[in-house]
Amino acid sequence: MDRDDRGPAGRAGRGGATVTARLPAASARAGSVLEARDVVKSFGSTPALRGASVSVARGEILAVMGPSGSGKSTLLHCLAGILTPDSGEVSFAGRRIDALAENKRSALRRDRFGFVFQFGQLVPELTAEENVALPLLLGGMRRGEALAQAREWFGRLGLDGLEAHRSGEMSGGQAQRVALARGLVAGPEVLFADEPTGSLDSLAGEQVMNLLTAAARDQGTTVVVVTHEPRVAAYADRKVIVRDGTATSPAPAEATS
Amino acid sequence: MIRLGLRLTLGGGREAAVRLAVTAAAVAVGVGMLLVTLAAINGIKAQSARGAWLVNPGTSGSSAASHGAPGRDPLVWLQGTDQFDGRAIERVDVAATGPGSPVPPGIPRVPGPGQFYASPALSRLLRSTPAAELGGRFGGRQAGTIGPSALPAPDSLVIVIGHTPRQLAGAPGSAKVTSIATAGSTAVIAGAGASAATLEVILAVAALALLFPVLMFISAATRLAAARREQRFAAMRLAGATPRQVSLIAAVEASVAAVAGVAAGFGLFFALRPVVAGIPITGQPFFPGDLSLSLADILLIAIGVPVLAVAAARIALRRVQISPLGVSRRVTPAPPRAWRVIPLLAGIGVLAYFAAAGHPRTTGGQTLAFFPGFLLLTVGLVTAGPWLTMAGARVLARSARRPAALIAGRRLADNPRAAYRAVGGLILALFVASVATGVIVTLVADHGAPAGGAQAGNTLVDQFTGGPTSPGSGRAHAATATGLALAEAPVPATVLARLRAIPGVRGVTVIHAGPGAASPGTGLVSCAQLTSTPALGRCAAGARVATITPRFNVPIGTAALGRAGNTSMTGKVWPAATVPPGRLPRLPARVVVVATDGSAAAIERSRTVLEAAYPYLGSALTIGERNAQARAQITQWQHDADVVILASLAIAGCSLAVSAAAGLTDRKRPFSLLRLTGVPLRLLRGVVTLESAVPLIVAAAIAAGAGLLAADLFLHAQFSVSLRSPGTTYYLSVIAGLLISLGAIATTLPLLNRITGPETARNE
Repeated sequence: MDRDDRGPAGRAGRGGATVTARLPAASARAGSVLEARDVVKSFGSTPALRGASVSVARGEILAVMGPSGSGKSTLLHCLAGILTPDSGEVSFAGRRIDALAENKRSALRRDRFGFVFQFGQLVPELTAEENVALPLLLGGMRRGEALAQAREWFGRLGLDGLEAHRSGEMSGGQAQRVALARGLVAGPEVLFADEPTGSLDSLAGEQVMNLLTAAARDQGTTVVVVTHEPRVAAYADRKVIVRDGTATSPAPAEATS
Repeated sequence: MIRLGLRLTLGGGREAAVRLAVTAAAVAVGVGMLLVTLAAINGIKAQSARGAWLVNPGTSGSSAASHGAPGRDPLVWLQGTDQFDGRAIERVDVAATGPGSPVPPGIPRVPGPGQFYASPALSRLLRSTPAAELGGRFGGRQAGTIGPSALPAPDSLVIVIGHTPRQLAGAPGSAKVTSIATAGSTAVIAGAGASAATLEVILAVAALALLFPVLMFISAATRLAAARREQRFAAMRLAGATPRQVSLIAAVEASVAAVAGVAAGFGLFFALRPVVAGIPITGQPFFPGDLSLSLADILLIAIGVPVLAVAAARIALRRVQISPLGVSRRVTPAPPRAWRVIPLLAGIGVLAYFAAAGHPRTTGGQTLAFFPGFLLLTVGLVTAGPWLTMAGARVLARSARRPAALIAGRRLADNPRAAYRAVGGLILALFVASVATGVIVTLVADHGAPAGGAQAGNTLVDQFTGGPTSPGSGRAHAATATGLALAEAPVPATVLARLRAIPGVRGVTVIHAGPGAASPGTGLVSCAQLTSTPALGRCAAGARVATITPRFNVPIGTAALGRAGNTSMTGKVWPAATVPPGRLPRLPARVVVVATDGSAAAIERSRTVLEAAYPYLGSALTIGERNAQARAQITQWQHDADVVILASLAIAGCSLAVSAAAGLTDRKRPFSLLRLTGVPLRLLRGVVTLESAVPLIVAAAIAAGAGLLAADLFLHAQFSVSLRSPGTTYYLSVIAGLLISLGAIATTLPLLNRITGPETARNE
């Protein structure tokens, strides 16, 4: 695949309207599918987010960057409804999700979001195809149908022949592609990826990011990817930098790096 | 390296401390159960030894009726079992023939005529019960209490009554003893009737049935949090540790937890001992001191458990290849092969063959026939278990429609040996107990308990089996007789009048010896009296005196199979006899039957009147009590089997709970991430529950099924009878044990909630 197709730096501005991380309310909400406003989150006496705001447009691929311990994963968890902020708001599709009960947030994550984590997300006892089919089974789909849908992703992600393999029988890159298929198989509106290439070598990382962005664009899926690697962030339409618990737009030099 | 191991175990931060505490706590529970099992075995032996003198009094005894009794100043001894309100009273009538007569244990001297010593429980009962219901049957005054050294249990009802040698001289069954056994190799549990050898075998089987699952539980406990430990070991390998050094550190860690657990286990045992002592494992509670541990027991546990823990840790470590880059490949065990079911099928085949072809005639031949069959079945259950678990799990996974069943099925199919290990002990215990229960219940049912419903419990029978029947003289106890022997005197009218005057007594019937009733098994009865005791049946129409052949005693044991049947006499019609009714009161009595309203007061007052009139003839018993007495040994075995079932199921539940907890901590990250993606907690709970409950329930079903099948085949082969339903107590024990086990598994579920929080999503 050609480097340009991967959409790194040159596409950073494609999302258009939401370049600034700290946005006035009205402009931030315009066209956004996911939005965090003035989110504060602490763990005990340790503050993780100190008023972070970010908005993501539908179909946009947003990279959340920052050094270790900056709060970028906490921001992703708040956006995904995994954590609830101490103050501030998080909205999805125009509806506040931070005030929802845990079971409703769980249902939202299950039905409308997809996830890819750095490692260890596959159920070790299940085969690759069963792992991919898991979200569909959870949604109540019949087993045969769920497995058939899951298998379609194997060819698409270069995983042919690995359907019956367990996580322990695959390389890190293969396992991560299976995880990607699982994150996308149910057609989520937003895919959250937390350091998806963090445990992979550069070649496997590139492969995963290529597939992730291509599949997301095919499906029109919004992607929020947390990374500290500029090479990964280069695949995004736009970047925000989290530093000391606040999200900011990168300086022009950072944005194009 | 040992110092580093200790440093990592004891000073490894909060997580290491929690891991150590949890492992030590689990080992403590296992050691506590192990100690209780060993102490209970010792307790049963101690109980049996202390009760020995009540059953097998002593040496150099001879019949009091015989001449030339050996020994200097022997003690005249007559032992019997009385009843009060459903409880047995061990009664010993003694008479010293001189100052050198041996003194029964627990009392300072032989009671003189008109004196008695009673156990503390009986003393309390005597004080709280009207004399007409209890005290009146013993007479005399209490000289003191019997000390614990002579009592099988704290609540034993025992009485030693003094007489003159002359009073006991004519009592059949009495003996002269020159020494009294206080503990013995031939001891038996008082009231249970099992011989010492049988008892040893039962204890050995029960101990094995319980010890095996407990050891499996301890082994599982020491492998808690294996995945976490493996990660640490990988980090050490990265830092340059050799596999041998890692293995040593693992051994140190396991032994520290085991030693702490053993110490806590001993503490737990001594803390719980008074409570455990109160549980009537043998049908009677223990003295707390009976639940003691020998030095060998203590050393075995204190050294054996840490050694076992180290061995288990090393074996667990051998199954993963820890490279410096982490646990690169978990060594997936090869799936069990189908040959594993061959011994099980062969065992069933052997028993089925003898069920079809009949059993060999000689005892040796029978042993040769059945022993290999049962051995093959037992070995077969152990070997076939993993294969059956795998086969079942594959079916579960293939047919699963819900993700919980799919994940649980796949995990079980992946490593069926691990799943089976947790329930292996249960399988053996439940198999043995099911065989025992199946055979016992069928033998009891087949020779028939006397029917008669409430009347069996309401009708008191005093059966005279030999010797003079004049009041105050001796006769033998009738409990083991199957027929009637000749009697020599009628029952005095005063005794009959006193009986009829008791509130609640509905009628008194005397069965007489006489013309036309020469056979010991038959008697003559007044039809007027018989109408008041319906449990005995009725006379033929128009008869005034009938010939009756009553059956009060039920033969128990395999010899009785197929010939006893229902012994109920209710509704039976007895043929007329030619003896005029006016002659009956002058004829010698064989049996006095008292029909009551079933109230304890009426029964006990009637019993007291009869025993006061005939003090040396043992107790008058209701038909129900006679049956219960005859079945005491079998009832005891059944009780033991139920205890084994309940205990083994509970232990298996604990093992499964530990395995479930270990499985959870091993899969902490994937489960947490699944939960973050919106997978409901109930689904993860379902996975954990299915992974534990399915093997438990399947194992219980297989073990019970195989046990009952083996019992049925054995019964067909040996006795040509079919298995009867094992009864409510068996099913209740299995269900109660399963519920306790499921409860133990449920205790791991809150752990799931705690360990799958959002913090696990952090990329460490």
